Amino acid sequence: MEYPTVISLNESELDLDALLAQITLPTTGACAIFTGMVRGQTLRGDAHDTAYLEYEGYQPMAESKMRQVAEEIRQKWPSIEGIAIVQRIGRLYPGTPTTLIACTAAHRNTGVFEAAHYGIDRLKEIVPVWKKEIGSQGEEWVEGNYHPKPGE
Amino acid sequence: MHTVKVMFFATLRDYVGAKSVELEIPVQTTILGLTELLIKRYPGLEKVKDSMMAAINREYAANEQVIPEKAEIAFFPPVSGG
Repeated sequence: MEYPTVISLNESELDLDALLAQITLPTTGACAIFTGMVRGQTLRGDAHDTAYLEYEGYQPMAESKMRQVAEEIRQKWPSIEGIAIVQRIGRLYPGTPTTLIACTAAHRNTGVFEAAHYGIDRLKEIVPVWKKEIGSQGEEWVEGNYHPKPGE
Repeated sequence: MHTVKVMFFATLRDYVGAKSVELEIPVQTTILGLTELLIKRYPGLEKVKDSMMAAINREYAANEQVIPEKAEIAFFPPVSGG
C-alpha cells in the first residue's frame, strides 16, 4: 500500500482539514501535528517585537529536502502512515501559522509525536528556506546554525 | 571553460546584488575555487565566507567537490525556515 506524503512550499494559507483528509487512511486513528507561527513578542533572550516575517526558499531544492525529511521519518518510524510537511513563504504576520508537520498512524503510541518532532527539527536543519524579521529596530535576516554534511 | 548558473539567497543575495549570475569557469573548478572567484568579484562575500553553504544540483556540496558541466549552483547562509 502506498502511504501518502504531502509536500507544500508556497504562499497559500494552511488548510488543516484539507491536509488531514489527504493523510488519513481507513486504517488511521491518530495524528500528531506540530505547527509553528509568527511570534509577535519575543520575551526569551533578546526581547523584541516583530511586525512581520518575510520568507523565501530555494524552491526545487527545498521541496526535494522536504521529501527527504519525510523519507527519513518513514525509515525511523515504519508505523507512520501519512506525512504532511508544509512551509509557507512570503510575508507572514504575527499569529499566522508558517509551517506544519503532521504524521498519522493507526494508534497514538506508535511514534507519531516523536516523528512530528523529528520532522520539524530536520526541516529547520536542511530545508533551504530563510526568513527576514521586520520590526521596530529595522530588518534583519535570521540565520540558522546547522551546517549539513555534503549530500545530507 | 564552461558556463555555470550561480544563485544566491537571503543575505548573500544582498551582498552580491543579484539573484543569480552566469559565470565562465575553468573545467575542474571546485566549490572552493568558485568561492574564491566570487569573493574577488563581490568583496562583500568575504565576511560571510566561513558560514556560507553551497549546493550543486540541489544537494549540499563539499568545498573540494568539482563542479560538473551545466551544473546548477547555489550559495546561501545556514537555513532558518520553520
